[in-house]
Amino acid sequence: METIDITRKGAALEAAAQGRFDSLPIYDRSVECAPREAIEALQLRKLQEQVAYTYRHVPYYRRLMDESGVSPDDVRTLADVRKLPFTDKAVLRDTFPFGLFAVPMEEVIELHSSSGTTGKPIVVGYTRDDMDVWSDCIARLVQMAGVVPGDRAQMAFGYGMFTGGFGLHYGLQKLGCAMIPAGSGNTERHIQMIEDYGTTVLIATPSYAMHICEVGERMGFDWEASTLRVGLFGGEPCPPGLKAEIERRMHIVCTDNYGLTEVMGPGVSGECLAERYQQHIAEDHFLWEVVDPETGEPVEPGGYGELVLTPLDKQAIPVLRYRTHDLTRVHTEPCACGRTTARMEKVRSRCDDMLIIRGTNVFPSQIEDVLTGIDEVTPLYHVVVETVDGMDALTVEAELRPEHFSDSLADMEAIRRKIAEKLRGTLLVGVGVRLVEPGGIERTMGKAKHVDDRRAK
Amino acid sequence: MSIAQISVFSESKPGHLSRVLAHFEEAGVSVRGYSLGDTGEYGIVRFIVDKPETALDALKQAGFACTMSQVICLRLADVPGELARVVGILADCGINIIYSYSMISTYIVISVSDLQAAEELLASKPVDLVAPDELASLR
Repeated sequence: METIDITRKGAALEAAAQGRFDSLPIYDRSVECAPREAIEALQLRKLQEQVAYTYRHVPYYRRLMDESGVSPDDVRTLADVRKLPFTDKAVLRDTFPFGLFAVPMEEVIELHSSSGTTGKPIVVGYTRDDMDVWSDCIARLVQMAGVVPGDRAQMAFGYGMFTGGFGLHYGLQKLGCAMIPAGSGNTERHIQMIEDYGTTVLIATPSYAMHICEVGERMGFDWEASTLRVGLFGGEPCPPGLKAEIERRMHIVCTDNYGLTEVMGPGVSGECLAERYQQHIAEDHFLWEVVDPETGEPVEPGGYGELVLTPLDKQAIPVLRYRTHDLTRVHTEPCACGRTTARMEKVRSRCDDMLIIRGTNVFPSQIEDVLTGIDEVTPLYHVVVETVDGMDALTVEAELRPEHFSDSLADMEAIRRKIAEKLRGTLLVGVGVRLVEPGGIERTMGKAKHVDDRRAK
Repeated sequence: MSIAQISVFSESKPGHLSRVLAHFEEAGVSVRGYSLGDTGEYGIVRFIVDKPETALDALKQAGFACTMSQVICLRLADVPGELARVVGILADCGINIIYSYSMISTYIVISVSDLQAAEELLASKPVDLVAPDELASLR
């Protein structure tokens, strides 16, 4: 059988559709395709070392472990990780800036801080080895999307303190790509650079990629004829409908990855082309658990719960059992792509995303799913929650597609009513719908903020 | 005889209308009349302009949800009862007025349920239909 040249535009998706995963690259087969027993043996060895290292170098964890009578020697199996204390984001805030650092600042070669949150930021550091591990994780996930050495990768994330920018930058360079560090903003210039430099890979938030797509279309830029082949998304959750639409309109293959600043940054897990709703976890670097968010106890294997992550070789900040507040479940059977690393289902909701509207639980991802199924609007949305006459009132702002605009107010009202009815059917609670003009939902270059909860706390 | 109208989806928030108008100005489009209803959070702004094609292109380029449709434009005599007379002609024949707005004092614009029937009907009646090429010179 002839190998398919996946550097041809559209070929990676064709290969995946034909099940020809032999044509798609795997960055590190020794880990990504290892037998599960080998992966778990490696995880146990690393966990034992990491816990000992953490106990030795971080007074905060030493005190917690001493108080609960746990010593590093008590970690004899992977399940023994449950003896260790959880870490919540609050700890990183309370110890700001360097309270959890396990190495002297002389060994730290880069600092990053968390994006998109209000109040006091959290800051994390990386040693040279940490950066190597991070780059490795990125190289793996970009290869899952079919990025190869020699690709020209254009960065549309802001660089700054946000882990997305430099994280992807170093990883793509490590793989052997030429980085085009355009940064965020100036959409016309991005399109011009794609044309001038023959860019093959675009790194962006999905909503900003959509904006680049739209602006290009208006400028008369031919996405089908362009060199661009791969979109690497991050910074915000990527609605499946939005991703599919960008793939169709820009004629590229798009994947997104998962990660968080507190445990490293992007690259904890990445999407392969076989299971587009799941992401392979870099299990040699991260031990995962899925727990009941209320009790902290493990859920049954394969069950939904909150993802908890323990980085296994992080030196600068060795966080133990980080509570991500992200809801998912994990599959461990081998993947059609050839990898054996566990796959987490894409995070569609966070524990703290859940809105309680007049006693009914509502997740923003449900709203996203409803809008994805309605032709007249884009999958982009914004939600406002207010108190009106003492009652919770939820209003969904949905963005009209220009081709569905008509001169008739009655037609517009019919679209609005259809959306409201479908939302009520799914959410089981009545909501208001406000139609907004094309481009009316903000395209963000950082983290999209879908919900504006204006209720008094 | 009918004339072209440009309709634009509009959110009720400050600055929206002025953005539309800025694009008209840049494209050298002159607004001869417009209608902006009080429809709540969103609505449809309708424009009669001297160069409808140019206006539509400019708005589409800028990403607006907009469309062009045909409407009737009538010139009324400035005397009591004239509006009632013209509206009565359509009513007598069962043609519904969906919306209507006045342009330059005595020039009114009417969107109808059956454009062709209305055009034929009005052409045979003593009313003053405005032709597209008259728009620039209306006073």
